Amino acid sequence: MNFMDKWKTKLQHLPTQASIYTLFVVVTALSVYFLDKSVVAFLLLLGSLLLLYFTSFKNSVKWAVGGILLFIVIPFATSGGLAHESYMEVATQCGIYIAMALGLNIVVGFAGLLDLGFVAFFAIGAYTYAIFATPQANNFISGQLFPLSGSSFWLFILIGGFVAALFGVLLGLPVLRVKGDYLAIVTLGFGEIIRIIFNNMEKPINITNGAMGLSSIQPPNLFGLKFTFPHQFYFIVVGILVIVIFTVRRLEHSKMGRSWKAIRENEIAAQSMGIPLIRTKLTAFAVGASFSGMMGVVFAAKQTFIDPTSFTLLESITILVMVILGGMGSVPGVILGAALVTILNLQVLTELTNWLNQLTMNGTISIPNALSPSKMQRFIFGAILVCIAIFRPNGLIVAKNRKVDAEQLKAERSHTPVPVGQSTGQSGGVAK
Amino acid sequence: MLYLFCGFYIHKRGFNMISEILQTLPQVLVDGLTLGAVYAVVAIGYTMVYGILEFINFAHGEIFMTGAFVGTSTLLIFNTAGLLSGMPGWVAYILILVTAMLFTGLMGVGIERVAYRPLRKAPKLITLISAIGVSFLLQDIVRFIADLKTGSFLVTGISLYNENVKIKTSSIWDSFDDAFLKTNSIIVLAVAVLLMIGLDIFINRTKWGVAMRAVAQDRETASLMSINVNKVIALTFFIGSALGGGTGVLFAQQYGTIDPYIGFILGLKAFTAAVLGGIGNVRGAMFGGLFIGVLEMFSAANLGIITSGNFGGEYKDVVAFIILITILIFKPEGLFGRAVKEKV
Amino acid sequence: MTILKVAKLVKRFGGLTAVDGVDFAFPKGKISAVIGPNGAGKTTFFNVITGIYKPDEGEIELDGKSIVNVKPHLITSRGIARTFQNIRLFGSMTVLENVMVGMHIHLKTGLFGTLLRLPRNRAEEKRSQEEAYRLLEYVGLESLLNEQANSLSYGAQRRLEIARALATRPKVLLLDEPAAGMNPRETVDLIGLIKRIRQELEITIILIEHDMRLVMELSDHILVLDYGTKIAEGIPEEIRTNPRVIEAYLGKSAAQQGVIS
Repeated sequence: MNFMDKWKTKLQHLPTQASIYTLFVVVTALSVYFLDKSVVAFLLLLGSLLLLYFTSFKNSVKWAVGGILLFIVIPFATSGGLAHESYMEVATQCGIYIAMALGLNIVVGFAGLLDLGFVAFFAIGAYTYAIFATPQANNFISGQLFPLSGSSFWLFILIGGFVAALFGVLLGLPVLRVKGDYLAIVTLGFGEIIRIIFNNMEKPINITNGAMGLSSIQPPNLFGLKFTFPHQFYFIVVGILVIVIFTVRRLEHSKMGRSWKAIRENEIAAQSMGIPLIRTKLTAFAVGASFSGMMGVVFAAKQTFIDPTSFTLLESITILVMVILGGMGSVPGVILGAALVTILNLQVLTELTNWLNQLTMNGTISIPNALSPSKMQRFIFGAILVCIAIFRPNGLIVAKNRKVDAEQLKAERSHTPVPVGQSTGQSGGVAK
Repeated sequence: MLYLFCGFYIHKRGFNMISEILQTLPQVLVDGLTLGAVYAVVAIGYTMVYGILEFINFAHGEIFMTGAFVGTSTLLIFNTAGLLSGMPGWVAYILILVTAMLFTGLMGVGIERVAYRPLRKAPKLITLISAIGVSFLLQDIVRFIADLKTGSFLVTGISLYNENVKIKTSSIWDSFDDAFLKTNSIIVLAVAVLLMIGLDIFINRTKWGVAMRAVAQDRETASLMSINVNKVIALTFFIGSALGGGTGVLFAQQYGTIDPYIGFILGLKAFTAAVLGGIGNVRGAMFGGLFIGVLEMFSAANLGIITSGNFGGEYKDVVAFIILITILIFKPEGLFGRAVKEKV
Repeated sequence: MTILKVAKLVKRFGGLTAVDGVDFAFPKGKISAVIGPNGAGKTTFFNVITGIYKPDEGEIELDGKSIVNVKPHLITSRGIARTFQNIRLFGSMTVLENVMVGMHIHLKTGLFGTLLRLPRNRAEEKRSQEEAYRLLEYVGLESLLNEQANSLSYGAQRRLEIARALATRPKVLLLDEPAAGMNPRETVDLIGLIKRIRQELEITIILIEHDMRLVMELSDHILVLDYGTKIAEGIPEEIRTNPRVIEAYLGKSAAQQGVIS
């Protein structure tokens, strides 16, 4: 951060910023395009989005540039080499996790409710699509109507989000009555219950096919175009992600967002301000869950196979790590956290493992199998959680409050003749 | 006609069901009480820490697990050093218990010092997150060491007492089947009871126990009374963790194979036991543990029978969680706890 | 005219009866004070009125309608707002946002309005910002609008709590030890502010306070509690010389000498 700050002061001049930024994007994009498989170049290209956040362009410009990067530059730059699909796979996974982390951020970051079973909603979304996009649903709905065709996928994104939100409310109704840190334990329990249920629901009626999972899930289909490759899913994910980010941003600075934060800061005071506790917490649960549910549908369609092992406690904790690392309540922070953790998981750890294996095979060094970085996830996540809690509890990018320009408020006030206070005719408005 | 048939069927099934449940009941009780004793002692660790810091020590399950590994590996070291053959079983048992308890006790103190104490004034959420982090760290460190030394994270130890004793419960009532009891179960129960009695005496009769209760009541006043609060908290962590680690040894001896992930779910159930008995209440935790243990064994054996095979023993954990949630919603102070109102 | 009436109000915690059969009618448009020694049950009395605790017995009426068993957040929308003895601000939110949270019940924008951000939703948000700002001017905190609430001084935090409570547009405002921790100058300002709220906004004010100077100067009526029961009520002059009150505060010997200073 400090480094970024210094950088920013040197580069206050906008045109300079713009040219350096363009140069950066062009260089990284070209290197990704021409180098056969350069993880570093690819990460730098993704990093250009982070850089964009720290530039001092206007917000609308940032959104536009971000859109161009996401929809044109990144897909095009990665299409040069053999690694195209693997790059796109990483980017797609990043998008899925970012959306989930943003969902969990509403629950943990905004509303201050520690949910340790968040992956359950992802699972619900995934199973919602998987059950109906495979012959599985024939087991309990007669008429051999299933699998539904891939063109139903688009509708299922909404259904998945809705069903997950519904479960969020159903789970929340009992769970949210539990206070404080007990909530963590209870959500943890619920996460496990959902997994156990999915794992065993092959009887009495075979709904989830139990531990065998569901395979040959129909790929999405848009006017005859089948989506099967990561570079195709990439666009679906980015599309949903843009909507998610947009939603979160709007909610954050609204009546709802303020209510969530008020509950997080002080439940009793929030209640004394007329905020209904349970209902407000339920909304946080439902909105957060719906993001996860939508991405669950995409995940099921992308993998074409799902089973309960994809939805373990480790996954819930992974998403939590993303939120904590990035900064609870901070949207840009959480996006960064999710991207970092996903890339760490998919790229850095695997690459490191391969590299070390290579070295071991060449006989240069001897690394025991136990130390293989890809096995060290829990260690790394644990270390991140402890370190962040002790040294940087607000995460990498600290949540910022929106500042309001007092002068502008005063200026606009003269144009609005009737303040809210008087318009409702209630006593007690500020008469001035 | 169909109704008649159904009625008859259900009646007949109901009768069979009861007799089936009765047959296995002695075994369920024996196994349930053994497992319950384990839960009870682990639950005490949660309860003690919560009583003093009002914070769920998520890592407690992992401390239990570490105890299991320390005990098992000490025994394996004895074995490779050839010490085991010249040593009576009970001496070895006591040695590994003491080693594991000392180790985990000190580890608990260390964890509190490093990961919790700096956060004592931070929001609860942050401390919880730190605890979850510690729990994952411990899982992986143990996994790493086990993997490095044995090539697998699953470790099978040496059982010191594994003869099966047949209890002729069928002679009490002929609906019962005979139950089988591992000699180790007796040890588990006996050691667990001894630990709990020892703790009870410590808390209620000694100077340090009184200091502990004082700090649990009101930390600030206690510190004004020249009680060293940090020392008392450290002591609490030492005792709670040592109990957890000791139970780990009992568990490893009882069930043979252990892995670094046994602590998490077991911890969750032990926590359920603590909540059931009223968190902060040591005797309540003992009761809660035994209850959850028996209930779990009962569900594992009979859920399938009761639901005619629709929901089998796989759902036994679900039963425990449902109890946890029900208690937290309707009687959060537990069966033996006292209701506390938040101060406004 | 009575705005808020409690009758035979009882609240028990286990063996302890914190509020024990209190009867009182708070007159509309006046400032009433609830006083009593520490542990007399004053804050519990407030908590029962605002619905945070359910009374075990008795009746509470606001404008002639019972508010017993009404949920706390609905009591707020019926027109009772409060501040807290141990300040309960939304610490990491800005000063302006704190007041805007107080406007919660008067904002109509729902989930979908927020997402679509129609002109009327945008206008409502703007207006609520303006009103919040106006309230900050009212309590004298307008220059701090973008500060984080927990970075304010003690006295400023107390005033912010008042602004936040006013944002709910209450008929009755409960102030729980508003002057606690304030220096004499801040207390004088506070007295002015409370008077203005009563006169300009026509809000009935009920306050708990230990600072007798403030109580005697501000209140029209005083209710005295001791061990949860009402031991006296009346205008300041009566309370000042009431032997039972003096006894409760200072013990028997002082009661014989006469007056609370």
